[in-house]
Amino acid sequence: MTQLILFNVFNGLIVGAFYALMALGLSLILNLSGVINFAHGGFLAIGGYIAYVLIPFIGFWGALLVAPFLTAFIGLIVERVLIRRLYGRDPLYSLLLTFGLAYIIEDGTRFIWGAQSMPYQVPDWLMQPLSVEYFFLTGYRVFMVLLVGVAVAGLFLILTRTRLGMRIRAGTLDLETVSVLGVNVRLLRNLNFGLGIYLAGLAGVLAAGMLGLQPVIGTSLIMPSFVTIIVGGLGSLPGTLLGGLLIGVASGVTTVFFPSATEAVIYVMMGLVLLVRPRGLLGEEGRF
Amino acid sequence: MSLLQVESVTKEFGSLVAVNNVSFTVALGELRAVIGPNGAGKTTFFNLITGFLRPTSGRILFDGDDITGLLPARRVWRGIARTFQITEVFPELSVHENLRIAAEVAAGYRLRPWLSRAADSEVRARVAELLGMGGLTEKADRLVGEMSHGDQRATEIMMALALKPRLLLLDEPTAGMGDQETYDITRLIRKLHTNQRLAIILIEHDMRVVFHLADRISVLDQGALLAEGTPDEIAANAAVQTAYLGSAA
Amino acid sequence: MVRLDKRAADAIVWLLLLTAPFWMQWIGGYTELGSRVLVMALAAMSVNFLLGFTGVLSFGHAAYFGLGAYGCAMTIKYLVPSTPLGMVIGIIVGTAGAAIIGALIVHLRGIYFAMVTIAFGQVFYFITFRWNDVTGGDDGLTDWSRMPLDFGFAKLDILHNAEAFYYVILFFFAVALALMALLLRSPFGRTLLAIRENERRARFLGIPVDRHIWLSFVISCAFASLAGTLYALLNNFVDPRALRWDLSGTFVIMAVLGGMRSFWGPLVGAVIFVVLQDYVSSETENWESFIGLFFVLIVLFFPRGVLGMIRRKAAP
Repeated sequence: MTQLILFNVFNGLIVGAFYALMALGLSLILNLSGVINFAHGGFLAIGGYIAYVLIPFIGFWGALLVAPFLTAFIGLIVERVLIRRLYGRDPLYSLLLTFGLAYIIEDGTRFIWGAQSMPYQVPDWLMQPLSVEYFFLTGYRVFMVLLVGVAVAGLFLILTRTRLGMRIRAGTLDLETVSVLGVNVRLLRNLNFGLGIYLAGLAGVLAAGMLGLQPVIGTSLIMPSFVTIIVGGLGSLPGTLLGGLLIGVASGVTTVFFPSATEAVIYVMMGLVLLVRPRGLLGEEGRF
Repeated sequence: MSLLQVESVTKEFGSLVAVNNVSFTVALGELRAVIGPNGAGKTTFFNLITGFLRPTSGRILFDGDDITGLLPARRVWRGIARTFQITEVFPELSVHENLRIAAEVAAGYRLRPWLSRAADSEVRARVAELLGMGGLTEKADRLVGEMSHGDQRATEIMMALALKPRLLLLDEPTAGMGDQETYDITRLIRKLHTNQRLAIILIEHDMRVVFHLADRISVLDQGALLAEGTPDEIAANAAVQTAYLGSAA
Repeated sequence: MVRLDKRAADAIVWLLLLTAPFWMQWIGGYTELGSRVLVMALAAMSVNFLLGFTGVLSFGHAAYFGLGAYGCAMTIKYLVPSTPLGMVIGIIVGTAGAAIIGALIVHLRGIYFAMVTIAFGQVFYFITFRWNDVTGGDDGLTDWSRMPLDFGFAKLDILHNAEAFYYVILFFFAVALALMALLLRSPFGRTLLAIRENERRARFLGIPVDRHIWLSFVISCAFASLAGTLYALLNNFVDPRALRWDLSGTFVIMAVLGGMRSFWGPLVGAVIFVVLQDYVSSETENWESFIGLFFVLIVLFFPRGVLGMIRRKAAP
């Protein structure tokens, strides 16, 4: 029994780390630009598919390195061409636009690669369990958690040590003042979006290895990202990280006792948080 | 008999003290002007009285009752109405509709899915009365968002009046207006004060308006009450002149 | 002059709707398509009650639409094979869901409100998906159909008579619209407009904003669940897709396409969208991309919608 619980908790942590990775990108974009990027899942899928295409040429590690950047690049273009026009307007429009994009991306990937799950080649040595007793600790899973850890640490460093990062943080608090101080807000939003999409792309490559690659992978993962942000707290990146881990573990534990409620439990948590602490666990007051 | 009693109210935002231990009393039917340099805390003061902000310490009494903890909507029901520094109206609705909404809420009809003939004519009559008072009758069907600044402000004031307040707070009613508009709004305020027997607290920068209208003047500087008195007393006050050096309109 | 135009326009619309089964065939349509348009239009109008008239960004209406649909279908299949009862229960279930969820989220605003409404929509999606034995899971709820309406003195076979069912739907559509119009023109309705126009001013007039938004939310979702029951009856089938985020988005885009600030807007939007979707999906497998593209184009180039643009041109 303990083994089972441990297995599921660990699994939950992985899933949670993963939700957090995706939600962090979504959160970055939401906080600075006020846009709910419903197409975030789509970019995740794009990340996975680009990696899939690249593997035969540059191998697993090459694809892992390159695919997120390419995805981020696409993100930069999308922001420049489409999303930028919507900033002054009612948030309704950016939501509708990204809705539409999500449709296009999902259908587009289905058109190019078909609806079935594509096998994603992960190096064999990674797939080995690390010990017989804890068979569920495969190298790949540990690797995923480590990688998410590295990505989060990297994000943290960017946000606290680089000029771009500081401007993003300042802009999230008060965009008007930042622009008055001479910062190019357009460029800032653009790069911030790219950063968020990079994280989505990375999540996509990791997801492909774990879940396999299919067109619906994006839309099925975006809802937990929403819940992560709501639970963790609006406007707070540490909150998003915490939220992701929490709902991941909650789902993991629930699988042991009530397997059919596994997906529903994250929404129950969301409902509880809204009831008891509406701004989220680490959310800031007055963000809404 | 005092209508509004503000007792030692302080408002802090972290280390910033926006309103510093201000005590302030307004009598029934009085017209009080609150003046002071920019950043003196005047609007914050209004926000405290209307319930938009809660004081860090101190009490606010209205007609003898402690309203310190009451939400804004409740204070409106008790008889406190306000206008804002940047005119807050319903831009894509007509003047008539703006006033109608205010009148209906004031009459207690806000949840009604339907109005009887009698109630409907009552509301219409009230709206017509308000339009007349504000000099807006010919402009009743125009969208408020498309009107001149002065007319928007007049609409906002009449909306506040529709609520049958006993205390009306006007936050810089002549801000951004030219001479003619300023004159018109001043006349309107004077007329309302005389006919409706309300207490009015007025935040103003235009000294002509202040000296023309006010019974008494309170001066705020850096969140604290600097001086209080009749217009003549304030005009002669040296400390006030120092605080205001060069900022008289 | 303006008033005459509006009444004339209303009359024309109703005339067209009343005679639809007859003229639709001439232009290559069919009665069932008309029924579908009405159901979608009702759903879009219910969304617009909240979106266009109260100014609230609600994006999860499919949840209540779906609750209405499943409530009705499950009643007919498991409880009593009665169409009216199915509808009543469907509406009750949808409205109750909205009342509860509305209470949880009513103090949120803007995009955060939107996010939460979408998320809650998905809860119901998952429930219907997982609760296989009862709801039929991904395959949907089958082996049931709309029951004939027994009025005592006459029976109406709405199952086999598509025209008869069209008129039944039109009846409910008309009743719902009349109620909505009544509400919007009432003092309560005006407080909703006030909230849309300037929430702060509404609050400072003494309007309890959160309470009114909750009421608007519940009313709007009640109409959406009515549309849901009709949808289930129309298809004699319901599946989790009736609860998905994309259906919610579809309702919104119909309202935007037709024009959010006008009463008939959503109907215009529904007509265009349903017909377009019908056509495109029969021409290509990739109709979803086209729908997505459609969303994007409308947002970029047509945000005021058809009626919004006409109004602009007519204004002095």
